[in-house]
Amino acid sequence: MTDEKKTLGLVFFPAFDWMISPAHPERQERLLYTRDQLEEEGLFDLPQIREYRPRLAAIEDLQRAHVGVPSVDKLVTRAHYVSAGGCLVAADAVMKKEVERAFALVRPPGHHAMRVVHGIRGFCTVNIEAIMAEYLRTKYNVKKIAVVDTDVHHGDGSQDIFYHDPDTLYISFHQDGRTLYPGSGFLDEAGSPLAWGTTVNLPLQPRTGDRGLHTLYDNLIAHILEDFQPELIINSAGQDNHFSDPLASMQVTAQGYARLADKLKADIAVLEGGYSIESALPYVNTGIILAMAGLDYSKVVEPDLSGLGREDERCDQRVRQLITAAGELYFNRKEESARQMARLGSDKVWARRKHIYYDEEGIREEQQEAVHYCRYDSDGCRGYLTILTAAAGTRFGDQSAFIVCITRNCCARCREAAYDEALREKKRSKVQYVLVQDIAAGTVEAL
Amino acid sequence: MLLGLDVGGTFTDAVIIEKGQVLAQAKAPTTHADVLEGILNALDKATALAGQLKNLERAVISSTIVTNALAEGKLPPAFLAVCCGPGMNTAGKFPVAPLQLKGCVDHRGKITAPIDLAPLARANSIAPAANAAVSCKFGVRQPLLERQMAQALLQAGRRKVFLGSEASGELNFIRRTNSAYFSAQVCDLFRTFCSRAEKALAERQIKAPVHILKADGGTLPLAAALEQPVEAVFTGPAASVLGIEALGAVDEERPGISLDVGGTTTDIAFWQGGRPLAARRGAVINGYNTAVRSFHMRSIPLGGDSKLSVSLVNGERFYFVGPQRVGPAAAVGGEAATLGDALIAAGYISFGDAARSHKALAALCPGLDIKEEAKKIVATAVAKLRGVIDEMLAEWARQPVYTVDDIVKGTEFRPRQLIGVGGGSLGLIKALGEAMDLPVSIPQGAMVANAIGAALARPTLSAGLRADTTEGHYIIPESGERKPLPRPFNRKAAEELLDRWLHEQVATWQLAEQETEVISAEHFRTIHGYYDTGDIFDLRMQLKPGILQKVAGFSGEVAL
Ligand SMILES: [Zn+2]
Ligand SMILES: [Zn+2]
Repeated sequence: MTDEKKTLGLVFFPAFDWMISPAHPERQERLLYTRDQLEEEGLFDLPQIREYRPRLAAIEDLQRAHVGVPSVDKLVTRAHYVSAGGCLVAADAVMKKEVERAFALVRPPGHHAMRVVHGIRGFCTVNIEAIMAEYLRTKYNVKKIAVVDTDVHHGDGSQDIFYHDPDTLYISFHQDGRTLYPGSGFLDEAGSPLAWGTTVNLPLQPRTGDRGLHTLYDNLIAHILEDFQPELIINSAGQDNHFSDPLASMQVTAQGYARLADKLKADIAVLEGGYSIESALPYVNTGIILAMAGLDYSKVVEPDLSGLGREDERCDQRVRQLITAAGELYFNRKEESARQMARLGSDKVWARRKHIYYDEEGIREEQQEAVHYCRYDSDGCRGYLTILTAAAGTRFGDQSAFIVCITRNCCARCREAAYDEALREKKRSKVQYVLVQDIAAGTVEAL
Repeated sequence: MLLGLDVGGTFTDAVIIEKGQVLAQAKAPTTHADVLEGILNALDKATALAGQLKNLERAVISSTIVTNALAEGKLPPAFLAVCCGPGMNTAGKFPVAPLQLKGCVDHRGKITAPIDLAPLARANSIAPAANAAVSCKFGVRQPLLERQMAQALLQAGRRKVFLGSEASGELNFIRRTNSAYFSAQVCDLFRTFCSRAEKALAERQIKAPVHILKADGGTLPLAAALEQPVEAVFTGPAASVLGIEALGAVDEERPGISLDVGGTTTDIAFWQGGRPLAARRGAVINGYNTAVRSFHMRSIPLGGDSKLSVSLVNGERFYFVGPQRVGPAAAVGGEAATLGDALIAAGYISFGDAARSHKALAALCPGLDIKEEAKKIVATAVAKLRGVIDEMLAEWARQPVYTVDDIVKGTEFRPRQLIGVGGGSLGLIKALGEAMDLPVSIPQGAMVANAIGAALARPTLSAGLRADTTEGHYIIPESGERKPLPRPFNRKAAEELLDRWLHEQVATWQLAEQETEVISAEHFRTIHGYYDTGDIFDLRMQLKPGILQKVAGFSGEVAL
C-alpha cells in the first residue's frame, strides 16, 4: 500500500509558529485558510496523493546556494531550515520515484534571496529553490534544470544565483518591474556570457490575466522548455498574480493557475508568494494540487469573482512583443554567448556591479561580482566567482566581505587561483570577512 | 458492579466486574442470525455464576450488529443531499450518488451562495428512503444550510435526518458526509436492536444504564448512540485493545506495540504512555472514508490456525502463512499443519502433541529437517507482521506537522516493547521480539479480554468550538450551537464554554462526573490590510478516555 507509486507527493508545512512580524504578510495566518480548505476537501485522503513531512535541511544544503555574512546560520531561523528541508523531501520523493511529481507547500519563501545574504529581502532569507537545485545536482547528478517562476514578483534572488549557469534555465514572468517590487526582471537581464539566454525575463503589463498568461505560455514558454530539454522542471509557484492579491495588480484566477500547472507538468513545485490568504490561496492551492495529481480541477472556482477585471489591449500587446523579443533572444542565445565570450579579455573575467536593497531591514548593499572563466581549457571547469560586498545597516551593523565561490567541477588550477585571490585579500585586510564557498561541498570557510 | 458483553466471530462473552475483581466470566456461541440471542445466553450464564446483579452501575454491549449490517451491503440505501461548493470533483466519493444542491459556505463560515431547496422538494416526491443524510462543505463552520435541508426533509415526511456537521466537528467534508450517510442507512436496524436489548435486560431486572461500545473505545448510552449509529462499527478490535489496557499489560514508561493473536487474525495496536494511540483519520467503511474515530490499528489475516502452504520456484522452497484458517493445530487434533504447529516444532511454544505437529509438517517438507523448516515458516510469519508494523510506523510518521516546534522536537513513534495477548500463538510474539530486538511481555490473559474491555471502557465524547471574533459568534458543530460571543472572549472563555457543553451531555447519562481534556487548540490573530481585525480560536476537547478501573484479580467463576 505504501510502496505503490502515487502521482503527487505533498509536503505541507504552514509554519504556524513563524512570522516576520505580527501584521506582516508573512505571518502565522498565511496558510491557515489553505490548510482548512485542503483538509475540508479531503485532499490528503486521495489515493493519488502521498503526504510527506518536511525535515530540517543541513547547513551544507544552505551553503551550496548561499554565503551568509557573517554566516548563514546567524541569519536564518529554524523555520528556514524546515522550509528548505521540505523542498529536499519533495526532491527525494521524485528522484526516488515514489511519486511522479511533488509540491512543497511550505513557508518561509525564498526567491528574492541572492547568493550573498546580509538579511531578509522581499520576505526571503534563503532561496529554497536554489538550495533544492544544488541538492539535486549533488545527490542525484541532475544536470539540466529549468526553473519556471510564476510569482508576480521578479525572482531576482533566483536570477542572481543561476545567472552564470548555462545548465539552469530560469524563466520568470512577472508584473513589470517599473510598477512593482523588486524593480528588476527586464529582457536584457539574460545571463552572463557563458549562460547568455538561459535567464528569460517576461515582464507583463499590470492587469494581465488568464488569457495573456496562457498565450505567453503556449506560444513562448512551452517552446523554450521544449528546446532546452531539462531533466527536471521546478516551478516557483507564487500565487500573487491572482486578481485579489493585495500586493500586485494582475488578473489571474485559480483556474488560470491550475491550467498552467496542468500544462507545465513541473516535477517539483515550490510555494513562493501569494498574500490574498482568504480569497485566493485556498482555491489556487487546491487547483494546483488537483492539476499536479492529474485530477479534475474544473470545479475549483473562487466564490467571489466580482473583483476580476478585464484584460485590456495593452496586456495583449505586451504579450505579443514578449513572444517575439524573448523568443529571438532565447533561440539565438548560443551565437550571442559565443560572441560575448570572444569579447572577453585574456584574463577571461566578466564583471558587474550591483546595488541591492533589502526592503525588510533597510539594508543597502554594494557588490562587485566577477566571473573568472577557466583559463586552462580544463574540461567542464566553470572557474570561480569573486564577490566584494559591503552592506550598511544590517542587524550586525555595517559589514563587508570578500567572497570566493568555487564552482562544481572546478579544476585544480582554478581552485588554487581562487584561494590565492582570497589569501591576497585577507592580507590586504580591507574587508571584515574573507569567505571561500565550495559549492559542491556546501562549505563556507572563513579565512 | 459493571457488566460487559462482547460479540465475537465465534463466541459471545459476558463478564461481571466489581472493584477490579472479575466476578464471573461466561461464553456462549455467537448466534449470527440474531446476535441478541447469544448475548442473552452469555449474560444468563454469567449471572447464574455471580448471583443477583446488585448495584449494577452499567451494562456495555460491544456487538457486531452495525459492522455486519454495513459489510453485508444488504441495507436499503438512504437519501443523501449535499452542497459541495467549489473544489474537488466528488464523483465516486460517496456510497450513493447524492442530490447536489446549490448553496455554499466558505472556509470562514461565510455563506457565499444561498441554498436552493427546490430540487429537494422534487426529489422528495420520488425517493422512498425513510432516512436521509445532508452535508455541506464547511458545514462545521456554518450549519445553516444543512439545517435548512434537514428541515425541508423532515417536513416532507422523512423519519430521521443526519447532519454531516453533527457526525464530526472536524474538517473533512467527504468523511463527515459518509459518516452521516452510513448512520442514516443503519439507523433503523440499530434502533430495533437497541430497543430489543433494552427490553430483554429490563426483563432480567437490569435497570442500570445500557451503553454501546464505539469504534473509538468509548461508550455511549443507547439514546446518545442512536444519534450517531455508525460509531458502533468495528467495536471488536477496540474492545480487545481496552482489554489489554485493563489487564495492566502495558508498561506506561515505554512506547509499545501490542499484538492480539487469535486463531484467524492478529490485531496490532500502538501504545504510548500506557494508552492506545488513536488513528489520525477516520475508519474506512466498505471502501469509503468516514469520520468514525478508532485506534491506530490493523487486523491481518494471520493467526495460530493459519494455513501453511509451500511453493517451489527453481528448486527453492517458499512458505506461505494464511490468509485462510484451517485450525485447530494438528497438535490438538487438527487435520493439517498450522502456524501453531510450526511454532511448536521450531521450539517457541509447547502445547498439545508435538509429534502430531511434526507429522503434519512433514507433509509440507518431506525428507527435510522439520525444525529448520519450521523456523523458516515462523520467519515468514514474522516478516509479514513486521511488514504491517513498518507500514503502520510509516503512516504514523506522516502525521501532519504545522509548526517548526513539531519538527525540531520530533513526534516519531519508536517502539520499546512488544505486548502479546491471545490464544496459543504467543510464541509468534517471542519470535517477532527476537527479530525486532525488543523485549516482549505477555500478560496473564483472560479468556474474555474483549468483554472486560467493554465492561471497563469510559464513555467518550469529543466536541469542537470555533470562534471567529471578527464574525462575532462561536459554534460548537456537534451541537449545532451557534451563539454570540461572550465578552471578553479568550482561550479560557472558549474552554469554559466547551467544557460546560460536554458536562451537560454527561449529566443526562446517570454516570459519575468525568474530567475533560483539551485535544488541540489553535489561536490565530486575523489581520486585514495590516490591521488587527480579531482572533480565531479553534479548540477541541473530550471526556478523558480510557478505562474505569484496572483488573486486579479473578475471583469468580468461569463458565466457558
Ligand atoms: Zn511574490
Ligand atoms: Zn579551471
